[in-house]
Amino acid sequence: MAIVRLQHVRKAYDTKIAVDDLSFTIEPGSMFGLLGPNGSGKTSSIRMMIGITAPDSGTVELFGQRFDRKLLQRVGYLPEERGLYKKMKVIDQLIFLGQLRGLDITTASKRAHAWCERLEITEAIPKKTEELSKGMQQKIQFIATLLHEPELVIMDEPFSGLDPVNATLLMDTLLDLRKQGRTILFSTHRMDQVEKLCDAICLISRGRIVLSGGMREIKSRYPRNRVQITFDGDSSFLRNPGIEEFKLYNSSAEIRLRDESAAQQILAQAITGARITRFEVMEPTLEEIFIEEVGAGGRVDA
Amino acid sequence: MLNNTLLIARREYIERVRTKGFVITTLLIPALMAGGMFFSVLKTRNSKSASHIAVIAQDADLALDIQNELEHGKDSAMKVDVISPPSPETRKTVVDETVDKQIDGFLWIDTATSTPKITYTAVNHADIATKDTISGAMRRVFMRQGLKHRGLDSVDIKTMMEPVEVETDTIKNGEISKSDTMTAFFGAYVLFFLMYMAVMLHGMNVARSIIEEKTSRVFEVMLATVRPEEMMMGKLFGVGAVGLTQIGIWVAAAILLSSQAIVSAVGAGSVQVHFSAPQIAAFIGYFVLGFLLYSGIAAAIGAMVNSEQELQQFNLVIAMPLAVCMFVLGPVISNPSSTFSRVMSLIPTCTPLLMYLRISISTVAWYDIAGSIVLMLLAIWVVMWFTARVYRVGILMYGKRPNLPEILRWLKYS
Repeated sequence: MAIVRLQHVRKAYDTKIAVDDLSFTIEPGSMFGLLGPNGSGKTSSIRMMIGITAPDSGTVELFGQRFDRKLLQRVGYLPEERGLYKKMKVIDQLIFLGQLRGLDITTASKRAHAWCERLEITEAIPKKTEELSKGMQQKIQFIATLLHEPELVIMDEPFSGLDPVNATLLMDTLLDLRKQGRTILFSTHRMDQVEKLCDAICLISRGRIVLSGGMREIKSRYPRNRVQITFDGDSSFLRNPGIEEFKLYNSSAEIRLRDESAAQQILAQAITGARITRFEVMEPTLEEIFIEEVGAGGRVDA
Repeated sequence: MLNNTLLIARREYIERVRTKGFVITTLLIPALMAGGMFFSVLKTRNSKSASHIAVIAQDADLALDIQNELEHGKDSAMKVDVISPPSPETRKTVVDETVDKQIDGFLWIDTATSTPKITYTAVNHADIATKDTISGAMRRVFMRQGLKHRGLDSVDIKTMMEPVEVETDTIKNGEISKSDTMTAFFGAYVLFFLMYMAVMLHGMNVARSIIEEKTSRVFEVMLATVRPEEMMMGKLFGVGAVGLTQIGIWVAAAILLSSQAIVSAVGAGSVQVHFSAPQIAAFIGYFVLGFLLYSGIAAAIGAMVNSEQELQQFNLVIAMPLAVCMFVLGPVISNPSSTFSRVMSLIPTCTPLLMYLRISISTVAWYDIAGSIVLMLLAIWVVMWFTARVYRVGILMYGKRPNLPEILRWLKYS
């Protein structure tokens, strides 16, 4: 049973087509990345998954059933634009949101305290939201999303605006959730995060799917023709005919090969004139794939 | 469904009641009422005791009559010295006394000519009340004197000069009752005033709270769990309950302050307004319905605009229907059962005021009342439906106020 299944979903606002013929499935217990440049239809797709808007055509299924508002009790949603009641105390706010999702006061309060401890913001509990820093507010929102222990967690750009320490903290939390068997969907345009976290992705551009599937499977579609080399000394090996193009930095270079087999030859040549501290042959990064695929589809609204 | 609405309403209520603004306005109004009453009582007393004047006339009989009228008259309690007949130094003496503030002023009556010449002289400009009191007293005194000169005896004169009181009775449900038009009119005014206050303060608060939710983007979190309809209803009930709490406190304070015991204790004139039980029921019922309708309209506006500044421009949309009610108040009072009155009182935006007025001054057919309630409930439902739709779609497009065709298109989405 798929946790989320979208089939030929289409949504148009006035004359703008936000999402067109979008289909994908998310398997239970997986971490799914919804990627795409700004304005590509990520948020529109997510809003249809949680019933804020309805698709013009196509179907949305959650937990193997046709979309129904009752199923939302099992979903946690973190919108892209964060919002909390400014004048309300953090703990009251968390309890209120927990109650709306069917928790009783004691459970909500207990869980809220536990989460605040885990995310290292216990000092914020008695404060009003408006007194908190943006990063803290984001953590509160994060907690509000997870308080009712949803089976499916949907997060729209969860890491935007967080410093690296907090971003890592939240990433670790997401990984923990997956370990517990929850299904997680998040949207982002930060490819490094996706590469680290996701089992499967769907890349959309202008409301259409460009690329979709398991992370490994997608990567294997591309040749291992990238070389990263860190060296000290002569850089003349970069003129090897097997190199299609390269970018030379201070003491490292990124190389794109014409052919996978050229790698060994280049390494041998490099050793003669330079001291090599790192040499890695790899498939293109997701970022490169992203730029390649989205770029091929023409310019997108930035 | 109901549960979520109640949760939202409760949150709204608690958060609002806790604010300093609410506590201050709630306490300030009764404090002002009490202060105003105290001040006016104090002032009335002072003006009566302070007026100490001298009456100078050639005719001692006339002067004594004036003294009597001013000291024990219907609405005056002045202290009056009589100087009659005046000596050549009298004018100088009274002027000096006035300047020295021993007396507030003097009344000089010159009856040498055929029409008497009366002058009141004081340091300050005579206030209107004093002037009215004096001229009223003079008129009665001269009339009495005139009648006396024509040979009528004083008992007859007294009877003739008694003021005539007109009592008004109304036949209601076949019974003659004392409830008069004044009470109904007064009631309608109180209702109008309360409604206006409630709508302007709290109806607008509903709109403001919606705008706040839009700008702080909380609604998207909320809409992931609750329906926009639940959200709207919750807000309306929550803010409405705050409004009712506040007005309840005000009304209780007003009743307490105007209660007979206190009024007589502070010595103010008696205020007598009686409301019958059905009248009170109609008052509360129509007030609540009216409040819901107008707040619903405010909510719709809140869902359409993006900032409080924009909301200000729409104040008129709320105030206009209330103003219309005020304009037709006259015709409805003079003929509460005419077709015009019936039609006007069935228009939902006017029902709370006009139907209440009709119920209190005439006998209204049950189907009129039932119809008005059904129409109001229907109107509230339509407004809520519309608002919820606009609200839901409003989140997708922001930054610009929608025009009418856009709003109509919004209704088709979602």
